[in-house]
Amino acid sequence: MEVTKDLSFLHLIANASILVQLVMGLLLVVSLMSWWYIFLKMFVIRDEVRLTEEFEDAFWHNQNLNQLYSYANSSSLRDQGALERIFAAGFGEFAKLSKQQGVDASAAMEGTRRAMRATYQREMDRLESHLAFLASVGSVSPYVGLFGTVWGIMNAFRGLANVGQATLAHVAPGIAEALVATAMGLFAAIPAVVAYNRYAHEINRLSTRFDSFTEEFSNVLQRQS
Amino acid sequence: MSATVYSEPYRLPAGILAMVVHIVFFALLYLGFNWNRQPFSPATMSVELWPDLPDGVTAAPVNPKVAESVKPPPQEKIIKPDIAMPDKKKPDLKAVEVAKPRPDTPKPAEVNPEARLAEQKAASAQAERIKQQEEQTAAINKLVDEYKAKITAKIKRNIGPTNVERDASVIFLVTLLPGGAVLKVELKKSSGNEAYDNAVERAIRKSDPLPLPPDVQLFNRFRELNLVFKPTE
Repeated sequence: MEVTKDLSFLHLIANASILVQLVMGLLLVVSLMSWWYIFLKMFVIRDEVRLTEEFEDAFWHNQNLNQLYSYANSSSLRDQGALERIFAAGFGEFAKLSKQQGVDASAAMEGTRRAMRATYQREMDRLESHLAFLASVGSVSPYVGLFGTVWGIMNAFRGLANVGQATLAHVAPGIAEALVATAMGLFAAIPAVVAYNRYAHEINRLSTRFDSFTEEFSNVLQRQS
Repeated sequence: MSATVYSEPYRLPAGILAMVVHIVFFALLYLGFNWNRQPFSPATMSVELWPDLPDGVTAAPVNPKVAESVKPPPQEKIIKPDIAMPDKKKPDLKAVEVAKPRPDTPKPAEVNPEARLAEQKAASAQAERIKQQEEQTAAINKLVDEYKAKITAKIKRNIGPTNVERDASVIFLVTLLPGGAVLKVELKKSSGNEAYDNAVERAIRKSDPLPLPPDVQLFNRFRELNLVFKPTE
């Protein structure tokens, strides 16, 4: 066993056993994806909050629903907030049902609410997409990293058994390289957990806003009908 | 609303940011962390070797040869020997002395040429080797003597002025630790003057790290020292 050990970072990774390298590679990919989703969700939720505020503002200050509806239909998907889409779906359904003959007011309201409910659920699904991935990364990747570390340390000690006189210098490189796997697991997990909790909270708040808007909008429509 | 076939925006910027985060992280890991990139220098690996085996085991092969040239002046210089070897070594030495050249005494000198001749006939190479060994041991003995002289000199410097008869002599058995620390000072033979005995003992303890040769192999020769002190010097 050579005494001079190069402990540089790349060397540690290059010298690790295949399984540990696989674990590290997996964790790297997972970490990249989770950070990608973190930024993606960050942008999407930030936009969603901004659009929701803008639309609520416009809705309560401008009582002309037809104008809002035509504006919502004309704007591109990108500029539409979820709330705007819920409004458009509800108002479109209501307009269609009120034009039809033989549909009473309560049935029209029922249809409108169903249309809004459907859009609301679709929008929530879009907002919540990838959050499950972040949650899984947050809970699983430390274990994956730990697995790599345990395996690496097992190898280090097995190698030690072949050496008559064991010194710390024999085990240390093996343990160091094994611990890189845990470090990577934690690096993937911590931001994922933080991001998941934060985004889940923000989406929850948005969902409450959508719910209350749906109720209030239903009241407005009922008054008009 | 037919369907929200909605390609998510921000795919590219998010991907780029994720890459940037990882690059920054690995850069920090690589640069900010002081990975031990230097190979271990010999200085950090140096080991202090303690010859643990007792004299009888390790010293046996080396000492007899070494001793024979330490010994040459024993009889003459007994008047003023600074250091005498510990008693238990003496039998060893005498046993070897017979076979070794002794310039002082004529009798061994007669024996030796014969032995030399026989050896030359048998194998001159062996003689050469023995000669080399002898030279080596002679060099070692010289070193040992030198250091023993240094030890006594150091102790003597620490003996204060005393008022003792000139022919008094005191013998101490001093046990040393590797590094020169004095482990034990034992009075072997009193000078008859308690004040002088005490002065010498104090002096030995006072000169505590006694000078030792840097070669730790030689420590076995210094583990126990019989030091003879006379007020004359």
